[in-house]
Amino acid sequence: MALKQEALRAAKPVPRWRKLLPNYLFLAPYFVFFLLFLAGPDLYGFYISLFNWDILLPDKPFVGFGNYRELFNDKLWWLSLRNTILFACLTVGGNLILSLCVSTLIRQRPPGFHFLRFLFYTPVVLSVAVMGVILARVLNTEFGLLNYYVSQLGLPTQKWLGEERLVIPVLASSTVWWTFGFPFLVFLAGLLNIPPPIYEAARIDGANRWQSFARITLPLLQPVTLFILVTQFIAHFKVFGQMWIMTQGGPGAASYSVVMYLYDVGWRFFRMGYASSLAFALAAIILIVTLINFRFFGRRVEY
Amino acid sequence: MTADAQAGPPANVPFWQRTRVQHRLDMALILLLLLPLAVITILPLVYMFSQAFTPEAEVRNWPVEYIPRNPTLDSFRLLLSWPNLPIMRWMLNSFIVSISVTTLVLVINSMTAYAFSRLEFPGRDALFICVLTTLMIPGEVTLIPTFVIMRQLKWLDTYHALIWPAGAGVFGIFLLRQFFQTIPKELEDASIIDGCGKFGTYWRIILPLAKSALIALGIFTFLGSWNDLFWPLIALNSNEMRTLPVGLSILQHEGYTMQGLSMAAAALTTLPILILYGIFQRHIIEGVMVTGLTGR
Repeated sequence: MALKQEALRAAKPVPRWRKLLPNYLFLAPYFVFFLLFLAGPDLYGFYISLFNWDILLPDKPFVGFGNYRELFNDKLWWLSLRNTILFACLTVGGNLILSLCVSTLIRQRPPGFHFLRFLFYTPVVLSVAVMGVILARVLNTEFGLLNYYVSQLGLPTQKWLGEERLVIPVLASSTVWWTFGFPFLVFLAGLLNIPPPIYEAARIDGANRWQSFARITLPLLQPVTLFILVTQFIAHFKVFGQMWIMTQGGPGAASYSVVMYLYDVGWRFFRMGYASSLAFALAAIILIVTLINFRFFGRRVEY
Repeated sequence: MTADAQAGPPANVPFWQRTRVQHRLDMALILLLLLPLAVITILPLVYMFSQAFTPEAEVRNWPVEYIPRNPTLDSFRLLLSWPNLPIMRWMLNSFIVSISVTTLVLVINSMTAYAFSRLEFPGRDALFICVLTTLMIPGEVTLIPTFVIMRQLKWLDTYHALIWPAGAGVFGIFLLRQFFQTIPKELEDASIIDGCGKFGTYWRIILPLAKSALIALGIFTFLGSWNDLFWPLIALNSNEMRTLPVGLSILQHEGYTMQGLSMAAAALTTLPILILYGIFQRHIIEGVMVTGLTGR
């Protein structure tokens, strides 16, 4: 047995582990970061969520799932969740419809195709801080740009960010202004990817424009739509900056979002355990929404 | 046969082959629909820049002067001399952090993507699935534990806290892996035969061929890091360490009522980004379009 191994070793001048070592070395740096700043914190975060973990106190009593139970009875959590769901649905819906319309028009390659494409994506490159500062001015009740034009049209001016029933739709519209360039470009890529002969065939079969849009374009865009729905819901469920800068969660708590609550619990009240359980509850909700998206929009279309 | 086709009703002609007049009408209609939207998209940005250059006494004038009648740099001068708003230091911080993050991400992600797409070794797929799984967990979950870890490392309120966590980024691995898989295997074999080691192949063959993907990833990473608000807001607490978005949000919060001042700060935060966008627009736009198609 030992002899056989000896013979094998002689036959292979470079041992297997020496050959494989460089491969692992390519991965090693990433996995240090991965363990320290991604997988590690994910697990550590769950561990923290089982404690009454005040960062300023040395004593951190174990509470099991107590934080999660507290969350279940926390009115502010449910309110912030309601606000966040409303905001995410309005923003994703608005983004989806607007970007689909605009990309369908631009796909016809009107003059200025490249310039318009460039222009519509511009707000996306802004920081949420810049977007918030500008739009807070635009929406200001007394001297904002929007109320000026509204009054010019002879319509009643509004407290855009100061009324409970308006604040979430207004924040969602602001976010659509800021982000719709992204789904727009993705839809455009999807549209340009549909082979023109399909439309030609439909035309010969007597389909009008609307029919070819409803029966060809929409079904063939389904994978792209799924991608947009999933990524957009994930992104907008985490809304924080817009509220933090433009409304501070107000009026009252009418625009208080889940991540704002996470920030307050964690960094104003230093309740790291409770904040962690909140983060995991948010993760679970995002996962459920993603699964729902896959369930309803995930069937594959072949052509 | 040909005569038949010519005599056919015009309704049978597909819309992209219609007559010139019809085509022009279509285009006019499309532009008519898109132009108001284009104006709405760009107006707030124009408003920001024009307010930044308008004298403070005139910022609330109606109608708005999109091109200021008396343009001035007063707001910028005031901003630069304001004792509690070290905006140039914030800009320096933003540049240091964003450039470091971009370098880190490009190096780490390209090595990782190379290993995952071109090298074979036991455990590779299991490790890849590990990375994939963490994608299901939103980044908000890591905020608290990372903060606790940073506190123990005594890295809070330093550049370290903003730079190193970016090394765990996943997006670039997927983007580059997709791209590396399109590079013909023969090129790699040739370089191995020519005596290049694995590192030589990565450095001399793969990276130069993937230049466009690396540029796109670099820009997206830079933009993301420059624009980030939440993590810097948590990880930093001294005024001099702030990045531009954090400084800007504090400016807004603490109720500096001078409109020109905050607009000038917003303009300074935006300018480097807009320049970058202008230069690399093709990479950015095509990068998004490609990501959308491969990510589906």
